[in-house]
Amino acid sequence: MYDLIIIGGGPAGMTAGIYASRLGLKTLLITKSFGGQIAKKAVAIDNYPGFESISGIELVQKMEKHLKAQKIDIKLGHVLNIKKKASNFLVFTKGKKEYQAKSVILASGADPRPLEVPGEKEFIGKGVSYCSVCDGPMFRNKVVAVIGGGNAGFETAIFLTKLAKKIYILEYADKIKADAINQELVANSGKAEIITKAALKEIKGKKFVESIVYEDKNKKEKILKVQGVFVEVGYEPATSYAKGLVNFNKRDEIKVEFETCQTKTPGLFAAGDLNVGAVKQIVTAAGEGAKAALAAYDYINKS
Amino acid sequence: MKVKVFSTSSCPYCVTLKEFLKEHNIEFEDIDVSQNKAALDEMVEKSGQMGVPVIEIDGKIVIGFDKEKISQLLNLKE
Repeated sequence: MYDLIIIGGGPAGMTAGIYASRLGLKTLLITKSFGGQIAKKAVAIDNYPGFESISGIELVQKMEKHLKAQKIDIKLGHVLNIKKKASNFLVFTKGKKEYQAKSVILASGADPRPLEVPGEKEFIGKGVSYCSVCDGPMFRNKVVAVIGGGNAGFETAIFLTKLAKKIYILEYADKIKADAINQELVANSGKAEIITKAALKEIKGKKFVESIVYEDKNKKEKILKVQGVFVEVGYEPATSYAKGLVNFNKRDEIKVEFETCQTKTPGLFAAGDLNVGAVKQIVTAAGEGAKAALAAYDYINKS
Repeated sequence: MKVKVFSTSSCPYCVTLKEFLKEHNIEFEDIDVSQNKAALDEMVEKSGQMGVPVIEIDGKIVIGFDKEKISQLLNLKE
């Protein structure tokens, strides 16, 4: 029996782990991998205090090292379900493992939002990618499309300008939402073509992606020959396994008390990008991780 | 047992996979496909994938960091 189980190994989960173990809680952290979205960041991080500019993977490694220096159990795994049993929690993972704890912090962040167009699922790993830093190097000298004209899309395009021959950026709206600096970097590369009011209809190919079909501003179908499609249309909270124990807003983000990050279930806390909140930042996720761990400590001592 | 990991240096699941193998004292050949075109072609040919990580265990291909499948092929017990 653990005092606390933390689900997720991004900045929220890792911070919670550092705090909880330093408070002397018997803690287990379960995660699919470390770093969450930071690990996949295509450009350097320039807004985390103490680090003027640091790559995502480097910041993750520093956090991971800090976490692993504590007295804490860590398991790589995929949580499928959580149940309340009397005053304790049961956490079930893939591979039929079961863990028990007095309290739980949900910190599993968010997953890339899919496009939901024909061909997307079939070509995952065959040209369709949700992680440009992972798969980008495989598209050297190829023609690719980035779907999504926000900052994430533009940062992906910036990363890809060093590799790909040509990059199309498709944005559904009539205006580009990315910051001016990102737009400038993309424009300066001379490799990108931006298409607004473009609604993606289908991803086509045989063994691998060969083209995409979109509807242009005049409602005409157009085809682009591309070998890669990088999806950057936002994220959706990874919260389905907590159904029943928490309240969601309409975006499936978890509602928590401001002071404690506690959900509607006593002893169940949530921290980071899976929570309700307009900003999704590394520093705010870490902050909520600390808050949740301290509140869990109080909860355990009072119960 | 022969183990090959096809990865890129910047991919988080590749890092997790390699750490997992090291923790279990599994020796493996670490291939960075972003620096090695021939290895990239080999990976795409064997796996039908343009995504990393791909792991080859005695000729058997596993796509992604599928811990259960990899543990099974390596006879690992937790």
